[in-house]
Amino acid sequence: MSFTPAEWSLIASATVAILMVGSLHVRVNLFGYCVLTVLISLATMFSAIDHHETSMFYLAGAIALLKGISIPLFLYWIIGKLKLGSDSGAVLSAPLAMHLNIGLTIMSYFLVSEFPVPLGELRTWVGAMAAISMVLTGIVLMLIRRLAISQIIGFLVLENGIYIFALTQTRGMPLIIEMGVVLDVLVGVMIAGLLMFRIQSSFEHIDVSKLTDLRD
Amino acid sequence: METIGFISLTPCLIVLTVLLVRHKPFVRFVLPILFWIQLAAVVYVVAPLFQRNAVSLALTPDFKIDSLGSLFMTLTAFVTACAMSHARVFFEVEDARAGESYQFEHERIFYACAALFLLAMNFVFISDNLGFLWISIEATTLSSAALIYYGRTKHTLEATWKYLVVCSVGIAFALFGTILLFASSQHGAIEHGSLNLSELTAHADALEFRLLRLGYIFCLVGYGTKAGVFPLHSWLPDAHSEAPAPASAILSGALLNCALFAIWRLSQLVSAAHHEALATNLPLALGTVTALAASFFLIHQHGIKRLWAYSSIENVGIMLVAIGLSSGPLFFLQALNHSIAKVALFLLAGNIIQSAGTKNLADIRGLLQSAPSWAVLFAVAALAVTGAPPSGAFLSELLILLQAMDQKRFIVVISLIVALSISFIAVSVHVCRILFGSEKSNFAKLKPFSTSIVPALLVALSLLCGVTALPILLSKP
Repeated sequence: MSFTPAEWSLIASATVAILMVGSLHVRVNLFGYCVLTVLISLATMFSAIDHHETSMFYLAGAIALLKGISIPLFLYWIIGKLKLGSDSGAVLSAPLAMHLNIGLTIMSYFLVSEFPVPLGELRTWVGAMAAISMVLTGIVLMLIRRLAISQIIGFLVLENGIYIFALTQTRGMPLIIEMGVVLDVLVGVMIAGLLMFRIQSSFEHIDVSKLTDLRD
Repeated sequence: METIGFISLTPCLIVLTVLLVRHKPFVRFVLPILFWIQLAAVVYVVAPLFQRNAVSLALTPDFKIDSLGSLFMTLTAFVTACAMSHARVFFEVEDARAGESYQFEHERIFYACAALFLLAMNFVFISDNLGFLWISIEATTLSSAALIYYGRTKHTLEATWKYLVVCSVGIAFALFGTILLFASSQHGAIEHGSLNLSELTAHADALEFRLLRLGYIFCLVGYGTKAGVFPLHSWLPDAHSEAPAPASAILSGALLNCALFAIWRLSQLVSAAHHEALATNLPLALGTVTALAASFFLIHQHGIKRLWAYSSIENVGIMLVAIGLSSGPLFFLQALNHSIAKVALFLLAGNIIQSAGTKNLADIRGLLQSAPSWAVLFAVAALAVTGAPPSGAFLSELLILLQAMDQKRFIVVISLIVALSISFIAVSVHVCRILFGSEKSNFAKLKPFSTSIVPALLVALSLLCGVTALPILLSKP
């Protein structure tokens, strides 16, 4: 099988996402997120070259700069400040979850073959598979982690999956909207980060699974 | 473009005022006025639409105001102005209660975020582009998180975190849906695809159906989370009960309408593509289930604001049914009546909580004896929100039921009647317990006359809506 460079990057990023599930270390997870985002930015750049679209170069730059570097740096800073080590994990043990995730990726292959879009010129099944696999990985990450910061990382992975879907399944989302989405995510992470400090200082932990005071 | 700038001007001015001025009496005096000026600005912008009887007013290619959007925009600005006027009284009482330890800082942040929140909500109603619609709705989540966090306690923290995470994940699904809708336009309908709603509606027939369906379902789930549709409502009671009263009022009276309005826009698009069955059945089913579930939740409630939060969820269900019946006027009518009465209720609930020092329903008794003016307003507003005549909500709910009968949706009609009856009984029981009984908590302190002004205005308006609309209804064959 011969893949385009963009497809190779996407396959690599989906693999990194799966590997992230296997580690409970917060720093390792964050590094994984950083790597996969940079890979997605590369994929954007490669498809920009393929389709001769200059606007996508800007987008690739914005993703690398904002999502790939700024957000991880901000989260690293928080990890350092709050002295976080590793997540204790919930529901499933990490290796088991990783294997489950591999199963989900295979499932997403079959989902893609059911997908209503004709897979024509762009041969987009790789992209679609990477996208759906990454969305599922994000959801798994959010479900099996306890710490607030891991939840944020899970959400970011989920959002990256959606972005890959937009990149591979559509031609040219309007740049201004993509930028707006990136900006919203950035602000959201900032707010969540600030809240995390508050959670740490009021509860003396950031284990969000223990936040269960409010109920009917 | 100028119009957009014009709408954004006052909220920006509010943020600036908050940033620059630290003088407490000045801030408390000027900011509510600015919120009313914003209402005037919105009315000024949308007035030409009604004067010329035009269908819509194009601002830029991606922003336009249509008649339903303009009504909602006015309602949102009005509700926010009312809540912010009451906020002044609310904060004065908080200030008096806390004494030296009062943090004016928090109040200023509250006002600034409320202004940004209002701005984001305005953009929801004028977006004619699915992408901008999504961005605006996400912006409402981000700006309102600070409103919920006002109290700076463990509980508000928990509520804010849940709100942020649940709504962001929900909204992420809506983004996925938006992308699917974009993809659906690329298979023959529009050459390079489009997110522009007018353009999509014009080419609705050529949209790829399976992608459209998938996209619609994802958007429904996503925006439904934001609207508090059962079973995705978990954030709503927590956020509404932990936020300060003026914020709960805006969340319930304005934010829920925003999310529902997004669903309305998408349903209209799917209808235009001649897939009416999809655009009606799903909202109808979701709405009915939501209304029914919420009415059962109303029976066992321990918090006064949680009670009204579940009542809001029930009303979201009813509005979703109106959307499912694809009746814009009924959707707005229900939203109008619900917003007005519910804002009054949340503000009054805030007064009661401040005065009694507890949210716990079991500890709030004998309101009629100790604070008769609040008690009367509270009772009338509660009746209005449950849809008892002669309030406006009675009319809108009756019309929705009649419309559903016309469309032969018998299961919906029966379920709604059951839901409305249960919620009426449940709310009546809770309200009677609050009004009567022997006084458990001390309502004696902190009851200035000014706490009743805004709720009284809203209750009067709610009754007015019902009474003036009655002849119009009766005159119809």
